[in-house]
Amino acid sequence: MAEGLIVRSLRDGSLPGEHAPALCLEDSLPSPLASHSHAVFRHLLTSLLSTGTGTAVVLVAFHRSPSFYLSLLSPTFHNSIRLLDCYSDPLAWKPNHHPPPPSHSPQNITLLTNLNHLPHFLSSILHLAKDLGAQGHERVTVAIDSVTHMLRHAPLPSVLQLLTNLRCHEKISSLFWLIHTDLHEPKVISSFEYISTMIASLQPIVQLPDYANANISASITSLEENYSKAKFNLRLKRRNGRVKLLCEELLIEQGSVKFSSVPSVSSVVAQNLIPKVQFNIQLSDKERMDRANVVLPFEHQGNGQNIEIYDGRRSLSESQNDPSSIKIGGLSEQKRSNNNKSEKGEIHYIRDSDDEQPDSDEDPDDDLDI
Amino acid sequence: MATGGGQQARPTRPSSFSRVSSSSFSPASSSSTSTSLPPGVRIGANGAAFVSSGIPDLDRILGGGFLVRSVVMVMEDADAPHHLLLLRNFMSQGIVHGQSVLFAGPTKEPRSFLGTLPSPVVQKEGLKIKHDVSDVQDKEKGLRIAWQYKKYFGELTAVDSHNRDKKQEYSSDFDLRKPLERQLLNSQNIECISTQDAFDLSKLQNHCLTFVSKLSLKDGINSNAGRIAIQSLCAPQCGYFEKDWDMLSFIRSLRATVQSSNAVAVITFPASVLSNSISKRWQHLADTLLSVRAIPDEDKDLAKLLTGYQDMLGFLHVHKVAQFNSQVPVILDASTYSLKLQKRKSLVLERLNQAPVEGSSGVSYATSGSCSSSKGSLLDF
Repeated sequence: MAEGLIVRSLRDGSLPGEHAPALCLEDSLPSPLASHSHAVFRHLLTSLLSTGTGTAVVLVAFHRSPSFYLSLLSPTFHNSIRLLDCYSDPLAWKPNHHPPPPSHSPQNITLLTNLNHLPHFLSSILHLAKDLGAQGHERVTVAIDSVTHMLRHAPLPSVLQLLTNLRCHEKISSLFWLIHTDLHEPKVISSFEYISTMIASLQPIVQLPDYANANISASITSLEENYSKAKFNLRLKRRNGRVKLLCEELLIEQGSVKFSSVPSVSSVVAQNLIPKVQFNIQLSDKERMDRANVVLPFEHQGNGQNIEIYDGRRSLSESQNDPSSIKIGGLSEQKRSNNNKSEKGEIHYIRDSDDEQPDSDEDPDDDLDI
Repeated sequence: MATGGGQQARPTRPSSFSRVSSSSFSPASSSSTSTSLPPGVRIGANGAAFVSSGIPDLDRILGGGFLVRSVVMVMEDADAPHHLLLLRNFMSQGIVHGQSVLFAGPTKEPRSFLGTLPSPVVQKEGLKIKHDVSDVQDKEKGLRIAWQYKKYFGELTAVDSHNRDKKQEYSSDFDLRKPLERQLLNSQNIECISTQDAFDLSKLQNHCLTFVSKLSLKDGINSNAGRIAIQSLCAPQCGYFEKDWDMLSFIRSLRATVQSSNAVAVITFPASVLSNSISKRWQHLADTLLSVRAIPDEDKDLAKLLTGYQDMLGFLHVHKVAQFNSQVPVILDASTYSLKLQKRKSLVLERLNQAPVEGSSGVSYATSGSCSSSKGSLLDF
């Protein structure tokens, strides 16, 4: 699922008015054979190219020679890729220009030697992108083999400006790059994460053992697993401002990369993000109105009506009128209907003794109608 | 306590720890000097002048708004653009009040940001509100509530109708879906500067100085309040990004500039791209410090823990609130709020509330309670 999300997002490009989506692929030492992230990089490259005829890639190759990349791809895709060769001669040591390329070498490799001058770099990439656009590819993705190499030649703000300018440019629909996290300060890495929309990193499945403690032997054998599997963490910045976190397992078999989802991952983000929360005991307006409408089994409903209690022997009003008279037994039927009874049930309350004033066993203030 | 317009303002009790209810600050001599205050500025507790932040809830939380002559800093989250919401409301409020606005952003065309500013919601129920408030005031006369319990009544027992009138002008609700009218944006006193290609901050510093001096050129007493909004001051793509100390001295000079004039500065910065010590220095330079955090999407744990998780955009955390003329610290009831869009148009801040626990899974209350206490988050309030 993570892979699908990435490929789809890179392929779809940006909505008008937005900057292009950018994937930052992070590589680190604990995940062994740093080539794992490179494998993911290559995998993304091939899946992007193979998804359709519309996508084309401008690949800026620092880490490997361009012919390596061309050999990865089947010849059908050679037309949809343009390579910027920053591998052969980045520091312009070879005094003469290259002799014109022999006829069998593909025409889609452009040599770049002046890497210090980033505007020239930017214009070369854009030139290649326009080339591809002219050929009929609507979506051009820029892939940078390693931003770490770029940072050797140019300062951080200019590299970031270059990437931001690429994102803003209308010819570029998406971009992704690889960066080695161990070779840079944390703030450099976080700056790259700041300008990207997707951040993917690889972590080892089995953590390296703590050599200071005991129990080394057991965990060393399980370290073998690290060579074929890794944890793939993806952080997606969505348009609604929320972050989608995904964690999957990566399997590398015979040079091909497979993603599988791990169901048992739970995020502990919640605990770090929010303080102790309490229940909301305030009532909303609707709730307040509902509460006011509830009929309570009290003598006074607070609405001005004077309700009589079913006394069993005598009613309040009758006793007030005629304190000395005693009525035995049944009162008139009307008196029985009082608010002590709901529609469905009846509450029969027989007072214990005659001498008791009504409500003497309850708080006399209960009837106060404020 | 809320007092009528003409009365002498009773001093607010110094031991009022919570500034939650707006009734606890009395506009001192509001009617007599209201005419001499520039538009959009209100006098609050301790004689301090406030301007509205554009978000009524935030004004209430901060005890009146942003203090004039202070610097407000908002720590951004690299994952979410919520700081832009705060900036937009802040700038729109200034434009609606006719105040001068200076905006600096790390893009090539900062003027295009003005196109995203929201316009105020038209108040249709103004009459209804006045009627309710006078009712409440009558009731209040009959029933004297001890001042310390007033806060439990929420905003119902708040200001009287006179104050409520002014309050509508002071802070407007903004409709984030409607952009601000173009003629308001074309006025003379809105400036935009791009910080992307700048190799140092001297140009921005000069702009701020001239902006502030223009404010005081006007009539001495009535000089208009000014708003300076700087977006992502330490954005990594800016040319001066590696110069940590230059950025710090810029902020210090901005503070000095703002303190000697009628301006408020709001600076947003992504704290994650700075090194720890420099980030701390930035935070210490702020008078009011807020931070926005992004929330994970489709997180079942959070959905179970909080009510209204689906509508939340993100969290706003208040770290520091500016104080003026007082030694009493501001202790808030709650410092983390959730950002939500009410009816998809206006921004509201709500306190976080725990979701009701389902009866069938009675275990969840205990576990979530123990989880939040055992992890001991730093955001405890």
